[in-house]
Amino acid sequence: MRRLAALVLTTACAIGAAACSSSSATSTPSTSATSSVKSGGTLTYALDEDVDGFNVNYANDDEEVLREIIENVWPQVFVPTPNLKLELNTNYVTSATVTSTSPQTVVYQINPKATWSDGVPITAADFIYNWEAQSGNPKYKDVGGAVYLPTNTAGYDQIKSVTGSHGGKTVTVVFSKPFGDWQVLFSDLVPAHIAEKVGFNNGFQTFGASVKVSGGPYEIQSYTQGEDLVEVPNPTWWGKKPSLSKVVFRFILDDSQIPAAIENGEVQLAEPALASLSFKDVVDSIPNTTTQVIAGLEFQHIDFNQANPYLALSDVRHAIADGTNRAELVQRIVAPLTSSIAPLENRIWMPIQPQYENTSGSYGDYSTTEAKSLLEAAGFKLGSDGYFQPDFGPEKGKDFTLTISTTSGVAVRSEIEQLFQADMKAIGIKIVIQNYSANTLFGTVGPKGEFDLIEFAWVQTPFASSSLSIYCSYTDASMCGENWDHYSDPQVDTLYSEALTTINPTAAARLYNDIDALLWKDMATLPLFEQPDLYTWSTSYGNVEPNPSSYNITWNAADWGLKA
Amino acid sequence: MTGFLIRRVLAGIVTLLVASFLLFLLVAVSGDPLATLMANPNVSHATIAAARQELGLNQPLLVRYWTWLTHVLTGNFGTSTTGQPVGAELGGRLLVTLQMVVPAVILSAIFAVLVGVVSAVHQYSVLDHALTAVAYLFYSTPVFVVAIMLKDFLAVDVNNAVGHTILYTIGQNTPGTTGTGAIMLDAAEHTVLPVLTLTLITCAGWSRYQRAQLLDVLNADYIRLARAKGLSPRRVLFVHALRNALIPVVTVIAIDFAVLLGGAVVTETAFGWEGMGQFLLNGLEGPVSPDTNVVQAWMLVVAAIVIAFNIIADILYSLLDPRIRLA
Repeated sequence: MRRLAALVLTTACAIGAAACSSSSATSTPSTSATSSVKSGGTLTYALDEDVDGFNVNYANDDEEVLREIIENVWPQVFVPTPNLKLELNTNYVTSATVTSTSPQTVVYQINPKATWSDGVPITAADFIYNWEAQSGNPKYKDVGGAVYLPTNTAGYDQIKSVTGSHGGKTVTVVFSKPFGDWQVLFSDLVPAHIAEKVGFNNGFQTFGASVKVSGGPYEIQSYTQGEDLVEVPNPTWWGKKPSLSKVVFRFILDDSQIPAAIENGEVQLAEPALASLSFKDVVDSIPNTTTQVIAGLEFQHIDFNQANPYLALSDVRHAIADGTNRAELVQRIVAPLTSSIAPLENRIWMPIQPQYENTSGSYGDYSTTEAKSLLEAAGFKLGSDGYFQPDFGPEKGKDFTLTISTTSGVAVRSEIEQLFQADMKAIGIKIVIQNYSANTLFGTVGPKGEFDLIEFAWVQTPFASSSLSIYCSYTDASMCGENWDHYSDPQVDTLYSEALTTINPTAAARLYNDIDALLWKDMATLPLFEQPDLYTWSTSYGNVEPNPSSYNITWNAADWGLKA
Repeated sequence: MTGFLIRRVLAGIVTLLVASFLLFLLVAVSGDPLATLMANPNVSHATIAAARQELGLNQPLLVRYWTWLTHVLTGNFGTSTTGQPVGAELGGRLLVTLQMVVPAVILSAIFAVLVGVVSAVHQYSVLDHALTAVAYLFYSTPVFVVAIMLKDFLAVDVNNAVGHTILYTIGQNTPGTTGTGAIMLDAAEHTVLPVLTLTLITCAGWSRYQRAQLLDVLNADYIRLARAKGLSPRRVLFVHALRNALIPVVTVIAIDFAVLLGGAVVTETAFGWEGMGQFLLNGLEGPVSPDTNVVQAWMLVVAAIVIAFNIIADILYSLLDPRIRLA
């Protein structure tokens, strides 16, 4: 039940210096702990939500669960390994070389064997299409003349040209402005020859022939809405053949159903939407399972919809932030699982990343007195029932009431809401809880801005520029499609432009921290805590290895197998 | 008999028409499908007006009802807010629920009659007290508790004992199963626990009802007369008493069957089944609430099922009690 912060990077250099050099890498990302596995068998992975569609590069489909499904179906040029180091995936591109820095030019050599499962070669045409569709440039149109609606345009919008040569197997990308995070581009490559016919925005929304075309080790065999999706090995795959004969993604929206399903052998791998101590205790007691809790590039937060006339006021947002006891949230929700997590003071970098800084200043401090003062300053008066009443706007003279929403069926999220509700009551704000299924929350409520406050998690790649589409001004719909909060700050936009074109990783990290400081000042959103991810899987399976980035645990699904 | 049947079917059709209007009215007044749009300051009046036009909400209620009814009569239940055809999805959901409810009702009916008869015949015996205690235990236990107990304390142990999974706790089938025999076996294995859950709960109530009805009949004058005439206890029980005691029970079973088809929602949720109950919940939960076409279609189908089973109950009455045919 998490949304992906779309892929774009800045700090590849800080994490893996090779990624920013001009030389090419030549490895195939694979699991670090290699077990001997045998052919055959099925692994069923419990996912906490269904998919909204099948194009993870399309703004409305951008979900972590879809990435986990699609990353073994659509080509990934670079893949972050569990230690957050970028590795070139030579199954697709045998080399990726920066041949010039002015203008920045990258030359990709596509693996001659790389072919879509319908027999069409993977060529420069795919790179060109993916660039155009995600460039945010209105001159490029989707089927029917519609504007492309990509998840994120960062990096693609700085490309001047993409050209093919040597029969389309050499791709030359020339940037109009330097882009330090060029390795993140051309990930989850949409098959151009399919998308050009069915459409980028709408052609992959329902399961059918277009979704079945694979360029990865697995292909999608079947999908049943609300129930499951089945992947089987792609018979035309030119790389190392997957050992498993089937990977089943089973949509189990209620975490409480998972332990019995694991113990009963119906599910072999699971990651609850939000781990709890009780869940960990239960799965720990199940024999023949391994459980790991790791800090991930994922954080819980509360969004303020500034389309609400009261939340449009900075003082009101700051009052809510001041009145939220984040330390208590951490103590109650996360501390039982891991003591290393503290209230999160940065939205762009996570504490496991070296670039992380506390950029909150005093904005993240808990103070009910300050919260009440801010509300009074904003024109609210404390009523006799203990709730503030605005003297303006649609709730004039009434108890100030806001609705908070999250995904239903996740006990820990409900607990967060209830703690928040109690905190808000203490500062005189009435909170109504209205939860939705994950698909409704992320498919409709969020993107259409039909909320006051929502609580959920962003799941990020190791790269800070992934945050662009969330925090750049919402008025630019093509670039900032994940800014559901109607947040806008020209200073933030300017800093993003600067950061995206900054090659020096230290300077870029500084700029992103400056952006986050502005986000605190504006109180764009309220970060709560870095979320520990809990994975539990059957010890009968080898090479299952969690990845703290948004690539998650399926990053090496082709290596999974039943232990020999 | 034919005339009786025709009268009941005609009455059922009229009842369904009245029900269809009432349910349409109920859904229409229970919420504005455009409420969320109207509350959103970013949505223009033009967009709202266009949506109102598209959904036909600017027409009088009777006109809207007639339009909806004529579409339904041609099998067109409209589309949900997610753009999916409601009729096709409803059909699939009904089949899923039938997979669970039909065996549960059959088993419940058999065991309820059996337990009810044994309890009544051995009234106040140790066996009667034991069966009563067990019945009340399940009758008073929430469905989800029974489901969890069966999952945690039965499925795992049985599967471990057998050495492979034969009792499934999630979903109505295993994805990717091929071959008719394998598919049927797999479906049966997935059905065991939900059916057992429903059976334990349903049977508990019905058995108490059966016991009470049979005790009433066993104390009736005509039973005493039958005994006085020297009929064997077996003949008195099965030919004279049970047949009459079954009549009210058949009514309860028929109505409960229809209700279960409409929404064994807790059981469906506990076992991850995508049936009728979940279908209604989805229609009520979404941001456009209610999802008018979904809720109306669900209510109409359930109403039709309730009416159909009432007719079936009437037919069963007439078979059990010939006097009813003359009524």
